[in-house]
Amino acid sequence: MSESLFSQLLNLACGAFLLAAVVVLWRRELAAIVRLFALQGLALAAIALLLGLHEDRWDLLVVAAGIGALRAGLLPYLIRRALAVLVAGQDGGHGGGHGEARETQPLVNVAASLLTAAALTLLAYAVARPLVELDPTPATRALPVGLAVVLIGFFVLVTRRRALAQVVGFLLLDNGITATAFLATSGVPLIVELGVSFDVLLAVLVLQLLTVRVREAFGTTDIDDLRELHD
Amino acid sequence: MSLIPAALATATVLGVAGAPAGLVLPPRVRGWVVGVLTAGVGVAGGTAGVAALGGSRWSAEVPGLLPLAGTHLAVDALSGLFMAVAGAVVAAVAVYGIGYVTGHGSHGSYGLGSRGAQAVLPLFALSLLLVPAAASVSTFLLLWELMALTSLLLVLAEHRARPAVLQAGVWYAVMTHLGLVLLLAGLSVYAAQAGGETFAALRAGTAGISPTLRGLVFVLTAVAFTSKAGLVPLHAWLPRAHPEAPSAVSALMSAAMVNLGVYGLVRVGFDLLGGGPAWWWLLVMAMGGLSAVYGILQAAMASDLKRLLAYSTSENMGLVVLGVGAAGLFAHAGNDAPAGLALAAALLHVVNHSAFKALLFGAAGSVLRATGERNLDLLGGLRARMPVTAGLFAVGALGAVALPPGNGFISEWLLLQSMIHGLEVPGVTTAIVLPLAVAVIALSAGLAAAVFVKALGVGFFARPRGEPATAAKESPPLMLAGMGLLAALCAALALVPGLLGGGLDRAVEAAGLTGTRPVAGGGLRVRLEEVSATLSPLWVIAALVVALGSVMATVNWATRRRQRRTQARLWDCGGGAPTPRMAYTATSFAEPLQRVFDDVLAPEQDVDVTPVRESAYLVERVEFRNRVPDRIEHRLYQPVLDLLAAAGQSARRLAGGSVHTYLGYGFVGLITLLVVLVVGW
Repeated sequence: MSESLFSQLLNLACGAFLLAAVVVLWRRELAAIVRLFALQGLALAAIALLLGLHEDRWDLLVVAAGIGALRAGLLPYLIRRALAVLVAGQDGGHGGGHGEARETQPLVNVAASLLTAAALTLLAYAVARPLVELDPTPATRALPVGLAVVLIGFFVLVTRRRALAQVVGFLLLDNGITATAFLATSGVPLIVELGVSFDVLLAVLVLQLLTVRVREAFGTTDIDDLRELHD
Repeated sequence: MSLIPAALATATVLGVAGAPAGLVLPPRVRGWVVGVLTAGVGVAGGTAGVAALGGSRWSAEVPGLLPLAGTHLAVDALSGLFMAVAGAVVAAVAVYGIGYVTGHGSHGSYGLGSRGAQAVLPLFALSLLLVPAAASVSTFLLLWELMALTSLLLVLAEHRARPAVLQAGVWYAVMTHLGLVLLLAGLSVYAAQAGGETFAALRAGTAGISPTLRGLVFVLTAVAFTSKAGLVPLHAWLPRAHPEAPSAVSALMSAAMVNLGVYGLVRVGFDLLGGGPAWWWLLVMAMGGLSAVYGILQAAMASDLKRLLAYSTSENMGLVVLGVGAAGLFAHAGNDAPAGLALAAALLHVVNHSAFKALLFGAAGSVLRATGERNLDLLGGLRARMPVTAGLFAVGALGAVALPPGNGFISEWLLLQSMIHGLEVPGVTTAIVLPLAVAVIALSAGLAAAVFVKALGVGFFARPRGEPATAAKESPPLMLAGMGLLAALCAALALVPGLLGGGLDRAVEAAGLTGTRPVAGGGLRVRLEEVSATLSPLWVIAALVVALGSVMATVNWATRRRQRRTQARLWDCGGGAPTPRMAYTATSFAEPLQRVFDDVLAPEQDVDVTPVRESAYLVERVEFRNRVPDRIEHRLYQPVLDLLAAAGQSARRLAGGSVHTYLGYGFVGLITLLVVLVVGW
């Protein structure tokens, strides 16, 4: 693969990666959010694949395959299943309505969220500037994208009310961290990525279980209603 | 030369072996094995200390033992003195502890026999011995913290029995860690400025540090060390933790741990910083003098036997620090002769105090074990029931009252000599401060006499004033043997203090006051070379014995001449036979003193008179309550605690329960940090 093709493909993948995160802020339908998250997982796998092809490292190809399977396949599937359980439970209990399937009232509205995402991306580029200057390769130049996704994921965590939107926010954050690690080091060793993936999988399983239980106990997954447990 | 490392290695191995032994062994043998191992730690460490006092020196570096900094150890005569004291106390207290834990008594082993406490005890003993051997900041702080943590766990040993233990533990934990923070700050600044963290590097780098920073280092470390020594105003942990700890632990803490505060002060102030301006030492003297008087006054008011002993520790450490401060003052003025003498006197007082205080705490523990009671008001009559304990307590009390023939007398006499001869040092400051210091020493010695007359007389003589005291039985022989060792040490220190002379000289020299030989030991005499004064304790004691014998003989002779002796009933004013309730209690004994020092102590008294319902003139019941609160603690600590509590309450508003708010804190914090990074760099 020629250098310029690699650079363009990498930029494309990174662009898709960032765009998916931003569009998560725009959409309210939880099912759409999950689809976007799966798309982002594909973009992340593409980044790993490109890096592996460029560096001629077979272990990165394995990592890319693993990331694709986990982040574009397994995790979205798990979240979708939880969503189905929640929506079905609500249909049975209250006879319809889209309360659990939509992020109806985020704490910050969509327009402001998108503007904030732009500001966070700018901040990420500003922060990463010294890092990029250290070694300006195509991979490190794309490094701010990973940071931006970390910040956007955190922002989703802070502003979205539904528990499943929170789970996606957490996963965005983790995607961002993974992407940053890939771009900064030109590929993470297999064993590290294995450990991280396993961790994320466990976290999602626990969160899925917890969400369903919260719904059963309180009738809603709006975590702002869970205020009793404080000092 | 190879004695010191061998002994230290032995102590370490025994101490480290003691911890698992305490954890896994069954209760029947646990006390024995741990006791023997701890005694071994004491003997080995004490041997190293004595060897160092004899003039050996040793230093070593173990690079791999601690990450980053490695471990540096060094033993000189100054460390040796404190190691020898700690070793002797640890060995005797370990023997005492075996009896305390394994012997059968009506009130059990009080939690010291538990798995956890027995596992920690050898480590505490080991840390007491190793702290003086540390020769770099990191090693010193690590061992210091080990000592604090192990002692904290031991203080908490009886937490199941009394809720007050928990409170004492919290106070102790907070204050000892405040001290650690100060120490960490001070020594970090020092190491950063000196360009190295070994004591050798600190010594070499001191000259290049600005006087302001040196002052800062000294004040921070001095406050931390005096807090460990239990000096006013950071003494509040001491009268809480010492009474609530098991008595063997109280003895270790009061006779070995608080000494290390003095060690740190001398090591940093004299050896590392190489002395300093007069204000450092005036500060130290002020704290020492205040503690001496305040501690003994509070001891005079205390009815709790162990609280009384704890405050007496505060007093004695105050006297020691007074001597240390005077030594610094004299050294600053360039007069090394009185400086060496004052430091030697202070160090000798450390030795003496350790001997008699360990003995006194041991005896108090013996009483507590036999009666379950610490309140002197409810004791009494123990001389007949626990004769050996009473005798041992009397030996310790004799040491504590600073009168011949006790061992405390010799060091306080040396201290007074140094203050009086220090007046040769020119300057207005000395002319004002030294007479005050002499007055402080004299006043505290006088009050100490009253305190220990109270403790001995009210606690052990007369008739028992409570049920537990009536049923008291003598303690197991091993406890008595441990105390006997300490009593023998007291007696040796009282009779032949001159044997310590050479060691004291070397310790003073190791502290940096070279070229003085303040105390020339002549075996049986203490001769002060520089100020031409001599004390022969043996002659003093011989004279006392002769005087006492002749007085008794005269009285005997006089009474025998008047043959007619009639037996009659005691005149009871027609009120019936006197009951034990009419006897002097600790509170009533202290009442005159409380009156004299009314303004200082500010006692709180409540009188509730309840009249009979029909008549205002007929009284049904009178209730009288008298409390002497720790005034410094009240005035100084309460506002700080209130402020902290108010801050904590208002901080609760931050935690409203909304997960989004909590996440928002993190998000805003992260963004702020990143923005600062972007803008700032």
